[in-house]
Amino acid sequence: MSAVSETQTKFLRGPKAEARASESLLTRLMTLLSSVRFGVVLLCVLAAACVVGMLIMQVNVEGFDKYYAALTPSQRLLYGGLGLFDIYHAWYFNAIILVLSLNIVLSSIDHFPKTWTFFSRRKLDASEKWLRGQECHNALTLAGDDARSIALRVAAACHSAKLKPRVTEKNGKTFVFAERGAWNRLGAYAVHVALLTIFTGGFLTAQFGHTGQMLLTPGATSSELTETSFKLDQPVQTSVTLPFKVECTDIQQKLLDKGGAVSPMNTLDWLTRIRIKDGARETEALVQLNKPFDYRGYRFFQASFVPEGKARSVTLSVTPDAAGAPAEEVTIKRDGAATLRDGTRIDFTDFYPDFVLSGARADTQSPDYNNPAAALNITKPSGETARAYAFPASAAQAGPMVGRAVAGYKIRLADFEKVGAAHILSVQKDPGASVVYLGFVMLSLTLVGVFLFAHQRVWAIVEPRGAGQFEIVLGGNANRNRVAFEDRFKKLVKTIEAGS
Amino acid sequence: MSNVIKHPVIISAPELKPNGETDGSTFVSYLPTVLAVGGAVLLALLRVRASGEHFISDGALMMLALACYLTAAVFHLTNLYAPAPLFQRLGLWAATGGVFFNLASWAVRWVEAHDRELSIITRQGGEMPWAFRYIPFANLYDLSLAFAFGAGLATLLIAYRPSFRFLGALSLPLAALILVLARFMGNEIVNLPPVLDSYWRPIHVGTASLSYGVALVCFAVAVVYLLKDGVKTEAMAIWTSLFALAVFATVGHFMVFSPATFGTYGASVQVATAAGKGVPIPVRADVPFVGWMIFASGLLLAGVVFSFARYVLRGDAKARRVGHALLKLSVATQIAGVVSLGAQLKSLTNVASLVNPRQYAALGAYIYEQQGVAQQQIASVGDAQLARAGAEFIQTRGPQLFLNMQSNPVEVSALITALAGTLFVLLFSFRTEKLRSALPSLDKIDSLMYKTGGIAFAGLALLLITGAIWANESWGRYWGWDSKETGAFVAWLTYGGFLHARIARGWTGRPSAYFAIVAFLFVIFTYLGVSYLLPGLHSYA
Repeated sequence: MSAVSETQTKFLRGPKAEARASESLLTRLMTLLSSVRFGVVLLCVLAAACVVGMLIMQVNVEGFDKYYAALTPSQRLLYGGLGLFDIYHAWYFNAIILVLSLNIVLSSIDHFPKTWTFFSRRKLDASEKWLRGQECHNALTLAGDDARSIALRVAAACHSAKLKPRVTEKNGKTFVFAERGAWNRLGAYAVHVALLTIFTGGFLTAQFGHTGQMLLTPGATSSELTETSFKLDQPVQTSVTLPFKVECTDIQQKLLDKGGAVSPMNTLDWLTRIRIKDGARETEALVQLNKPFDYRGYRFFQASFVPEGKARSVTLSVTPDAAGAPAEEVTIKRDGAATLRDGTRIDFTDFYPDFVLSGARADTQSPDYNNPAAALNITKPSGETARAYAFPASAAQAGPMVGRAVAGYKIRLADFEKVGAAHILSVQKDPGASVVYLGFVMLSLTLVGVFLFAHQRVWAIVEPRGAGQFEIVLGGNANRNRVAFEDRFKKLVKTIEAGS
Repeated sequence: MSNVIKHPVIISAPELKPNGETDGSTFVSYLPTVLAVGGAVLLALLRVRASGEHFISDGALMMLALACYLTAAVFHLTNLYAPAPLFQRLGLWAATGGVFFNLASWAVRWVEAHDRELSIITRQGGEMPWAFRYIPFANLYDLSLAFAFGAGLATLLIAYRPSFRFLGALSLPLAALILVLARFMGNEIVNLPPVLDSYWRPIHVGTASLSYGVALVCFAVAVVYLLKDGVKTEAMAIWTSLFALAVFATVGHFMVFSPATFGTYGASVQVATAAGKGVPIPVRADVPFVGWMIFASGLLLAGVVFSFARYVLRGDAKARRVGHALLKLSVATQIAGVVSLGAQLKSLTNVASLVNPRQYAALGAYIYEQQGVAQQQIASVGDAQLARAGAEFIQTRGPQLFLNMQSNPVEVSALITALAGTLFVLLFSFRTEKLRSALPSLDKIDSLMYKTGGIAFAGLALLLITGAIWANESWGRYWGWDSKETGAFVAWLTYGGFLHARIARGWTGRPSAYFAIVAFLFVIFTYLGVSYLLPGLHSYA
């Protein structure tokens, strides 16, 4: 704000005030847009907008409905009208970023020609007075044959101090100029190119990206994604159809404490096995926590799960009712079957974590493993079938079904592998991510390049003082890391002295 | 200069072998750092070999680190007022000890977290997850240890140059302050939410702690810059007092100054469960005297602001003396308040009787909510009935109610930080001119400020990048405007402002130093405030 008015007042008061006043509005606008001060003001405005977004809860944050309900009507009207509930997607927020990008580009164009002179027109000489005014300077007297040989000695010392020297002559004076890291002057521009690359990637993501959720129950196939957006406190679900089908073949949950619940905090990893049917092509894949799977530009992530207790497999201890017959132990996977020695087939059809009979129908009272039971179908070799429920030996509620023999067998639930009822994968299509990643790589490299290196320059004038004596005036500067430069300069002076 | 290029170039680069000699002083100057880090690694390796019971605990190591930082700070400060090589040396070695204990405490926590889950998993025949699951970056306490280490390390690396040794006088007390605040957060080892079990975690959080540490050092340099530049300590006092006043006004949701609860400060109450753990309930117990101490400190600081404003604006010498007297008094009342709060949080037993009955209705609503009663239903129940439910809870569970040091970590931290700010200003106003002359030249301080600010900027950029990559690998989005992300982004923007103000016409010098200070305040807000005050993904750490 203030920069705008200040810049303008300065124009009016400046020496070329009259000329400036007649400048077209466009020129003045360009001058403003390309000034670093305007850029700093924009940074502050952007930061302020972000802080507002942090302090006022945003629509996509969990608990927004509760927060929204607690606001007064006038607050809702004001915040809503100004778009503060979704400030990061408001038109003015995008406008700030756009103007900032413009400022970066224009200001870079403005400054670049001057920077380029560090390469195109290297400053090869300097006046003695100017050298003595540098942050590092020194004067030595050396004995030698001629100015040129002394200059070469200084150049050699520069070389050993890892500065690239050039010796020149002008108006009868001999100059040594040495520098290193001139490319560092370009670093700032590279940083800004990297930033603009990231902005571009972000724009691509916002325009062409999709993120949705997909519920996967073992055995089921789906090609629908649910995308959630928010209209204030009302979530809006939209459905997106994938160009292929996803079948869930298995879900698994690695628990920290196998005796505990299938809660997130007790879980080390979630595993979802899927089969993608894309026309005639089938692809098997495994999606794990923090190990997403990529297919045709879509990424599958573990997002959440339905925490109703189920079993991925059950281990049954089967005891024939007939006395003396040996017991058997079989492990059956979800929706799988096992055949006993006598040819009897057991199908594992369903699992109830907290078994209860509601009428004649089996059901679960809660999602927790309070009274686990496996629903089984038993088929005798004769073709006779029966339905049975297997409970653990320690079944809490010893109802009428516990321990009862079915089809000539007593079946107990010896063990089972816990898992949730379904996994929810997050599916993302993000054409901007690779551009953003490219920007990240560029930004990391360029920032390291900018801040860990510097453009260091040293000049020396060699002047004869008679009787084979030569005075050398040395001076130098660095665009950053002055302390390191001072060290190098001192070392350089020492090397020159030692060489005599 | 156009004729420069016409010079005949005699030689472009002499064919000479580069001199292979190394500067002998380099290794010696990094010796403290090498010793501290190497020693800590050795200690952690010993801990891997030894069993936990007979080994020094991470908490004890942290207290040793705190003691070392404080000792080092005292030596550094003494050296500023009465320069002596002995103090310099002692200060440097005490700081080295601090960094050693600090890192050792953090590393020992790693082993402890591993041992803790080892027993559960191997008992059931499971295979042990990789060691990085246990790297101590799981909560704010862990991060604070790393943050203080980052600050200590940056100080050690910079302070090997004698002219920059002044830095420790400011950065080491700040590192100690962070450890003190960490103490209030509680050092229990928490289970790691599974989604965080990624190799990006050590990279991301490691970057965070180191760049926060450098940011702290940059802040310290910026304050020193302003001091050297001749900013009046009275002007600084106005700002720290305004900060303290803001803290006093907001603690306990404006309770000290609001008419209904005037002059009281309440600490959040916890209920002990059967498992011996504390569960916080939305009720505050009035801690005797503390509210009045806060009120008195606020009043005195308001006086400080008023008198110093008169002095700064009108040059009123009498107002200046009055202001200094009030400042000293307010330090006394603030210390009394903090000490009395700390002591009573530990010792108070009759918590139930200290709960103001006005909170019963809110508690009742909370209890219904916990029992799964729907919001509309709770709203339809009258306040009187809610209050009865709350009162009954307080009566029956009275003996199980307790307060502890972790009751209100952010509020206690804010109170201590306000006190620290006031103390620093008091310190600076003691023989200010002598202090100014002991500091290196403005140019030198500025170049150090630029260097640390630049590294903090680059570090925060890497923090944002690694965070974005991690988020993209785990959640499928690289940027979501989560509060912590945004906070770090704002701090980064402010450092960007700092760097650009340096090249903007008319904004070099002081204005750019202000940017460095504000940027660090945003870093602190991101580190502490976001976790406790704002909702979001990073609410655990």
